[in-house]
Amino acid sequence: MKTFAMTRQRNLYANLALTLALVIAATASLALGTVAIPPGAIIDVLAGGGDTIHQFVIRELRLPRVLAGVLTGAAFALAGCMMQTIARNRLATPGIIGIDNAATAFAVASVVGAGLSIAPSAMALSGAAAATALAFGLAGANGTRGYRFIIAGLGIGAIAGAITQVMLSRVAIDAANAAFPWTVGSLNARSQDAVQILAIGLVIGYGLAIALGPALKTLQFSDPVAINLGTRLKRIRTLSLACAVLLTGLAVSVAGPVGMVALLAPELARALSRPGKVPLTASALAGAAFMVTADLAGRLVLSPLELPVGLVTAIAGSPYLIWILVKPSSRSLS
Amino acid sequence: MAATLFRSTLASCAFAPPLSVAVFFVVVTAVASLLWGAGPVSAADALPVLFGQGSEEARFVVTELRLPRLVTGIVTGLSLAIAGALLQALTRNPLAEPGLLGVSGGSAFAVAVAILLGASSATMTTLVSQTGALAGCSLVMLATRSRGLAADPVRLVLAGATVTGLLLSLTSVLMLADQRAADEIRFWITGSIAGTPLSHLRAVLPSLVVAGILVVIVASPLAALSLGERTAMGLGHRPGRIRVLVIVAVALLVGAATALAGPLVFVGLVVPYIARAAAGPDIRKTLWLCLPIGPALLLLADTLARVIAAPSELPLGVITALIGAPVLLIIVRSGRMPTL
Repeated sequence: MKTFAMTRQRNLYANLALTLALVIAATASLALGTVAIPPGAIIDVLAGGGDTIHQFVIRELRLPRVLAGVLTGAAFALAGCMMQTIARNRLATPGIIGIDNAATAFAVASVVGAGLSIAPSAMALSGAAAATALAFGLAGANGTRGYRFIIAGLGIGAIAGAITQVMLSRVAIDAANAAFPWTVGSLNARSQDAVQILAIGLVIGYGLAIALGPALKTLQFSDPVAINLGTRLKRIRTLSLACAVLLTGLAVSVAGPVGMVALLAPELARALSRPGKVPLTASALAGAAFMVTADLAGRLVLSPLELPVGLVTAIAGSPYLIWILVKPSSRSLS
Repeated sequence: MAATLFRSTLASCAFAPPLSVAVFFVVVTAVASLLWGAGPVSAADALPVLFGQGSEEARFVVTELRLPRLVTGIVTGLSLAIAGALLQALTRNPLAEPGLLGVSGGSAFAVAVAILLGASSATMTTLVSQTGALAGCSLVMLATRSRGLAADPVRLVLAGATVTGLLLSLTSVLMLADQRAADEIRFWITGSIAGTPLSHLRAVLPSLVVAGILVVIVASPLAALSLGERTAMGLGHRPGRIRVLVIVAVALLVGAATALAGPLVFVGLVVPYIARAAAGPDIRKTLWLCLPIGPALLLLADTLARVIAAPSELPLGVITALIGAPVLLIIVRSGRMPTL
């Protein structure tokens, strides 16, 4: 009983530590920038007071950005964690299997105005859904399991990437520049509507993920074991995948493809949490903290030039990624 | 050694028809790529030039623009096809493709760094590109060796895709740093064989010769290696040495192709796939067939890139991706994954 309690506590502590990291990152993100604002003044502004400049900077500029970062980071990481679990492979994130690329292609199509007048966010979501459905269909009987789905996703991602290139190369330079944030991932280009839709989607997605949690845990074993434990594999996989698509599509619609968060945040969460559990909440928290920190770093490092958050996460994540690939032994989810 | 190789491959008469069909296709696509283009010179204008006649303008377009492009296309297609066949034989994985495994990615990243630092000399670019290709290839191979991933086609490809994605993001970072370099990189990274000066071709020639010699040396040992590492050792080959030679040859070939045309994905996947389907599992026959099929496919893609959206051109890399990705899906759907 004691070890059980201890492991329960371990998860609690992990989540608390990640929440603390998120709060620190968010506060730093509100405080730092071209205009530095002391933490006391931030509390004043959030409470409804403070002077007008601070009010403007925080309410109009930084708070929406931090919120967008928290929501997109959590959504990417949650989607990544679910994909990694159902594919039993920690490299199988939505970005690698083409969901990001397809969402980007659709969003770019609506930005450069390929005869469409739908908002980029709706287009991104339909792109994500289309890519997944296509990968599902092409993978045939094997469903989400095994290699077919992943390779089909890779192929679809390559086609979507090529289509994005065609669109960017055929439009005027201004339109291409307007679409550029969509291709690298940036919190600068967010639209307020998309953020609101993402908030609703994240609540639904998170609820669904938590409800699926116990079943996802059994997916870490081999299929026969999971079935014997009473898991309805097909249904769980389909639901998890739908959830991951929803979250990724909505997050791409706000911030563009920031695939590295989906890969790294669940890794961090898994390292901190109790072994054997699928760390959904911890992943979401870690993703949010990672995204906000990366965005802050992107704003500060080369200031006044702003480095898009997608590139910061790619640079920050690359040493770790190379280490995962090269190190000799691996853990169960490799 | 080359003579034995030549005799042993030509000896099997079942193999001659596909080879002649492939050569026929190269000739057809080569003529097509001379005749059709995005510009105002039509096929009817260009045809007389092939017989030494035609207008001044048509002669200029055909000999000064389309002919160098044709040569670049042949060299690029050939290099990528051979590199893909070698890599697939080495990893015994039909999905091992230079573009998917981070080889082209490494090469593209290295060239982007060089462009940013102000490199312009063709020789320099080739060398840098080959070094990058070697680094990318070694990284993925190291990953597969150390983790036993080579046995699992999907994990190998996932590792490669991850490295490629990473290198592409890092290349985007470089593009932010310098607007002038960004324009150059953006044009080059989509892949194109248009306007490559002949000096570039001359610069890659020595490394292609070296790669060719390496291919001749490793062809027979690779065929033995396809029977398994133990068998190859029993036949007197040293797998470690073969592996290193193959990786160097792949890096030289892909580096040269990338320096000429930018990173082109899927050529190294599609061509060996077709060649294997026609010639069977013997790597030596596959390599012979890749020689004509690679250029034929690349020239076909390039001609399509020029004609589809005339009067402007589509990037060649887009066309190869659009041709190649469905083939990837076909390979995946073909029942069980064929292992080599």
